[in-house]
Amino acid sequence: MRRIAVVVAGLALVAACGPSGSSSQSTTPKAGGTATIALESELRTLDPLDSSLLVEREVFYNIYDSLFTIDPSLKIQPGLVKSWDVTDPLNNKFTLQSGVKYQDGTSFNAQSVKDNIQRYKTAANSRRKSDLKSIASVEVVDDTHVNFKLSTPDATLLATLVDRAGMMLSMAAVQKGGQDFSLAPTGGGSGPFQFVEWKRNDHMTLKKNATYWKAGLPYLDGLTYRAIPDVNAIVAALKTGDIDIARTIGAKDVATLKADSGFIYKDIPALGFNGFELNTAAAPFNDPAKRKAVALAIDRYQILKTINFNIGVVGYGPIPPSSWAFDPTEKIYDKADPAAAKASATGFTFTYKTTSDPVNQQQAALMQSQLAAAGITMQIQTEEFAAYQQECQQHKFQACGVNWSGRIDPDGNMYAWWHTGGDFNDSSYSNSQVDAWLEDARVNADQSKRKLDYDNAQKQIAADAPYVFTIFGVSAQISNTKIHKFTLYPDLMIRMAEVWKG
Amino acid sequence: MTAYIVRRLALMLPVAFLVTIGVFMLIHLTPGDPALILLGEDRSPQAIAAIHHRLGLDQPLYIQYLVWLGQIVHLDLGRSVTTHQPVTIAIGERLPATFELGAVALIWSLLVAIPLGTIAAVRRGSLADRIATGFTVGGVSIPNFFIGIVLIFVLSVTLRLFPFGGYVPFAQDPYQNLRHIVLPAIALGTAGAAINMRFTRSSMIEVLNLDFIRTARAKGASWQRVVFIHALKNALIPVVTIIGLQVGGIIEGAVVTETVFTWPGVGRLAVESILNRDYTVVQGIVLLAAFSFMFANLLVDLVYGWLDPRISYA
Repeated sequence: MRRIAVVVAGLALVAACGPSGSSSQSTTPKAGGTATIALESELRTLDPLDSSLLVEREVFYNIYDSLFTIDPSLKIQPGLVKSWDVTDPLNNKFTLQSGVKYQDGTSFNAQSVKDNIQRYKTAANSRRKSDLKSIASVEVVDDTHVNFKLSTPDATLLATLVDRAGMMLSMAAVQKGGQDFSLAPTGGGSGPFQFVEWKRNDHMTLKKNATYWKAGLPYLDGLTYRAIPDVNAIVAALKTGDIDIARTIGAKDVATLKADSGFIYKDIPALGFNGFELNTAAAPFNDPAKRKAVALAIDRYQILKTINFNIGVVGYGPIPPSSWAFDPTEKIYDKADPAAAKASATGFTFTYKTTSDPVNQQQAALMQSQLAAAGITMQIQTEEFAAYQQECQQHKFQACGVNWSGRIDPDGNMYAWWHTGGDFNDSSYSNSQVDAWLEDARVNADQSKRKLDYDNAQKQIAADAPYVFTIFGVSAQISNTKIHKFTLYPDLMIRMAEVWKG
Repeated sequence: MTAYIVRRLALMLPVAFLVTIGVFMLIHLTPGDPALILLGEDRSPQAIAAIHHRLGLDQPLYIQYLVWLGQIVHLDLGRSVTTHQPVTIAIGERLPATFELGAVALIWSLLVAIPLGTIAAVRRGSLADRIATGFTVGGVSIPNFFIGIVLIFVLSVTLRLFPFGGYVPFAQDPYQNLRHIVLPAIALGTAGAAINMRFTRSSMIEVLNLDFIRTARAKGASWQRVVFIHALKNALIPVVTIIGLQVGGIIEGAVVTETVFTWPGVGRLAVESILNRDYTVVQGIVLLAAFSFMFANLLVDLVYGWLDPRISYA
């Protein structure tokens, strides 16, 4: 959740604008040089096994290769898996790239895939277990062919294997690193850059993987990451030239940086959603009429304009415009309607929990005034992040501002949040019809049928309002003009293999 | 003297014991759950329970405390909840940066405070005195994070005279090391400079009015000799007390400054660990800070004896 908080805090969201800003796509790429990248917070681990931060994935994608990748339109593309056959929903057959070596010189092959999946599924401190729950076993057919045997059909598996659960590590390097592998994964990946050193709270250095299996890549000799938790400090560091690339800046700074010819700003619709949870299991929001009143009284366009400086688009449901399952017709609660809100319910008071982040505070104050117009009193309770996070997770709230960074497959934006008893169902929302749609969408291989499930579920969720959707955010990148061939992805990741400096 | 030091060291033990109880209870009773922080968007009831079990958080609080106390007795502070790094290493890696910043900030504060305080005392009521007093009021009342932000904005972002934040080890590049330390040291040392100046001034005024000063003058000692040899050394006792507190407080003082300047020291580690509810690291840092205070106080008492031979410890 913290990553989300950071994104919200920093970036404002959504984007009708597609990739904007003119990248100087000049001439032929030049090899050499290093780039310094700002991270919005410090990492905790460099092992995909126990990672839970967005900021960690930003680094991982440059050290490790995944079985699958995505293109900027979120279509699944080959990674360490060259081709695949998923016609049998319980036997997914993958053909692997051949000749790939990890940075420690050991070979990537079918046995390595099996060992990695086994490690993710069984290690005591693994956070990947639920990602890979549907996999019963991995069968080694020969050196370059594996068969993923599933216990249930899983339409989301390939998308899951794009992310950490699909990142392949050298088992020799993991064993050699032992307990400290997560702090110093030397030689652990097969990606374009390899680990050199990590001085926590200061910097992390990666160097070029000279034997990268994609010929000619990467162009840069190395990357330096610096954790700068303050969005204003990131802008200062961009201007002083201390960093070349950043992902999170304050929405208020976007216009200035766009106008500055020394920088290139780009954004595209991201994967997540923003808004706040209403606790359906406790007063006052166990009354659907009161939830509806709040959803009707909130002016999303005003939030987009004044809090997010029009970066992003208004949000209506859990599935954002970047997804194939986005439903543009779903526009319930489009315009704020205080009169209709009053007709639904008025004259009640509730407490809204949020963190001390200035942007969150401004948004809370704005919503407070919007709700007052409908006769609803919203009290703002500001808490330090860890305390607020615990209370929201334990259902000890009436309303709680929580955003979601989003997942490649729409299931990741739906099931855990709205299925009865889901891991992120802080609102205690339960609707048997929604449960049925979400379950079907998980196992149905037909994308058009899945979309129908999601369309239906979204409509119902938006109408029931266990969560008030406000804004869809953007995935943004800011770099100085020396940086070229920067491709923006909706999943917020900074992929550096093809970037060059000149 | 040796017996005195041994006695003082022995007295630290009960204090340290009380500190362990205090810090353990404070951090453990603060709302928030390290498991939720660790899991972030990957949380599930099973994963939360597994982490609680692995960290021993499913045990009663007093058991957790006794386990930790047992580790401390063996000089083991445990491993970080968030990174699994041994706490002694996590702190040890950052201590040099914090000490360097603290030392440079202290030197800066003394270079400003002692001459200014002396001048202000000798020329009481003069323009110099009023400027020095104005500096005191400003230095004490402006928070160091604000001074830091102003310094960054003016000297780093606008004039580009100094780099923005970060740290370069002295051994790696002495010049860059000094360039990076200037702004945080000024930000951190200014409040201390103001306080030290204030103490130097009032103590000097008091000493300058004493009989032995008049005697020294009557003997024909030069003005410089009277001020710098006779008066200043005697006036420094209260200043040393306050400097001792500042040395002991380097870690606390660095918390804010290190965050503003992204300085990779113990202070920033403390902030991050508190936000992450990294119990073991927070406990380790607070213990270290408590010990620094106790040792600094002992040191101050010993320096008294050197400054004033009438003070002796038997």
